[in-house]
Amino acid sequence: MGIPWDLIIIQTVNGVVTGMILALVASGLTLIFGIMDVVNFAHGELFMLGAYMGVVVLATSGSFWLALVIAVLVVALLGAAMQIVTLRPLLGRDPLTTILATFGISLVLQNYALWQFGPVARKIQEPFTGRFNLFYLEYPYYRLLIAALSGAIIGGFWLFLKYGKYGIWIRATTQDRVMAQAMGIPVPLVHTAVFAIGAGMAAASGVLFGPLVGVNHMMGLDWVLKAFIVVVVGGMGNLGGSVLAAIFISLLEAYASIWVNPSQAVIASFIVLILTLLFRPTGLFVPTPK
Amino acid sequence: MSSTGTPIAPLIQVEGIHTFYGKSHILHGVTLHVGAGEVVGLLGRNGVGKSTTLKTIMGLVHPSQGQVLLAGQQVTDLPAHKLARLGIGYVPEDRRIFRLLTVSENLRTGLDRAGVTEARKQELLDKVFAYFPVLAERRSQAGGTLSGGEQQMLAIARAMMLEPKIILLDEPTEGLMPRMVSQIRQIVEALHGEGVAILLVEQNVPLTLAASQRVYIMEKGAVRHHAAASDLKVDDPVIRQYLGV
Ligand SMILES: Nc1ncnc2c1ncn2[C@@H]1O[C@H](COP(=O)(O)OP(=O)(O)OP(=O)(O)O)[C@@H](O)[C@H]1O
Ligand SMILES: [Mg+2]
Repeated sequence: MGIPWDLIIIQTVNGVVTGMILALVASGLTLIFGIMDVVNFAHGELFMLGAYMGVVVLATSGSFWLALVIAVLVVALLGAAMQIVTLRPLLGRDPLTTILATFGISLVLQNYALWQFGPVARKIQEPFTGRFNLFYLEYPYYRLLIAALSGAIIGGFWLFLKYGKYGIWIRATTQDRVMAQAMGIPVPLVHTAVFAIGAGMAAASGVLFGPLVGVNHMMGLDWVLKAFIVVVVGGMGNLGGSVLAAIFISLLEAYASIWVNPSQAVIASFIVLILTLLFRPTGLFVPTPK
Repeated sequence: MSSTGTPIAPLIQVEGIHTFYGKSHILHGVTLHVGAGEVVGLLGRNGVGKSTTLKTIMGLVHPSQGQVLLAGQQVTDLPAHKLARLGIGYVPEDRRIFRLLTVSENLRTGLDRAGVTEARKQELLDKVFAYFPVLAERRSQAGGTLSGGEQQMLAIARAMMLEPKIILLDEPTEGLMPRMVSQIRQIVEALHGEGVAILLVEQNVPLTLAASQRVYIMEKGAVRHHAAASDLKVDDPVIRQYLGV
């Protein structure tokens, strides 16, 4: 059997596209973990609520881009409120308390969405439907746009972290919460802001991804599970590592599904996860600690 | 400073503070004060609560009893970031440089405050780079890659970015070679010359007596002795009683 080059190229494109969306979800998750040691089990529901906000705004305004912006802002605000009410009082407690708190929130949000929008999946119409030929496929330009936009959001955020005044606050707080505070950085505010940014990124991925699948109240589950794998493989709290891990895992699944069916291809991610935990628990994409 | 004729409140006044870590009672009513521009030494054996006293003043732990006043104002329950903005600089005993931030970025954490103009930021940077030329050379290097002595300088320089009225300096000479120790002493003197008060925790008794105007000696979570530095000698019976081995 020869090497199916056409399939490999198609799957490379697919892998990069899903990888970028996954990276956007996982970035927020890893950022939140890095700065406040909170594993946010409600992250997938923020992604789902973002998608629903997209559905609602798109239905009333007809503008996909407006829907994207409003969904990001609303979910970011919701994330900030959630952090202030539930996580801020638990800072520094046993991690189990924050796991239970965020898990509880995820159940509430899922059931809220079910009650509000019902069990039938909604659709988000993509902003343009142009296609180009990729071998025997008519490949939608929109998918490439998703990858580019996700990359732009992550890249913009990275620049902000590196050069922005508040970016330095975030990095300092992530490294040493106590010393950051002693330098006059309002750490509780930084925590809330980071949670809001993470929530906003999840919402953006929800809206961008909406057109590719249906929007329903359970859609967060698959994604958050994959995002958790990415965060562990990328090194908990490591933004660059998460982006690389997201693309790596998505490519792996994409290639695997050339030979096996997609639900079996998922196993590839779990194998990577288990190998990482066994042999390099600090993450695959982090420099070897000296 | 005050022209009202009434006595000026000390810059920092610590009154009978009791501090706990969980259930362990560490400070048993510590009382001390530091005047504006004064260098005050705080001596005591390992584990008597010197660092805990500094942390309590900085708002990093909160006392269950007693109070901390800053220029006569009640600040006991304020969070650390507010105290930093009010003019307390903190240099912890393990230095706690932001290891992944560059030297410049470490300094910027204290510069990005409301009301500091770009020109003023540059002035402050120029000042510390004049004090610590080695930091200027290494400004783009990650904090974690600096040597111990350089990290100590960066920790002091970083606190200076806040334009503090007082710096809480916890064992700045720990683990440094003699040449660095004398450099730290010069810095303390220079800060004193600028009118910055310093509460200096040290194991190095000669240095503390030489650099300070007054000295407190702690034992078991309380201040046991208080004297003018000029009244104490390195081999004083008091020093031997509380600090000798
Ligand atoms: N975070 C903490 N939790 C529990 N106990 C603590 C904590 N930090 C300090 N202690 C205890 O409090 C006591 C006083 O500690 P502190 O660091 O204030 O002493 P110190 O006088 O600064 O000593 P050293 O000269 O060794 O630095 C010690 O017995 C120490 O074990
Ligand atoms: Mg100490």
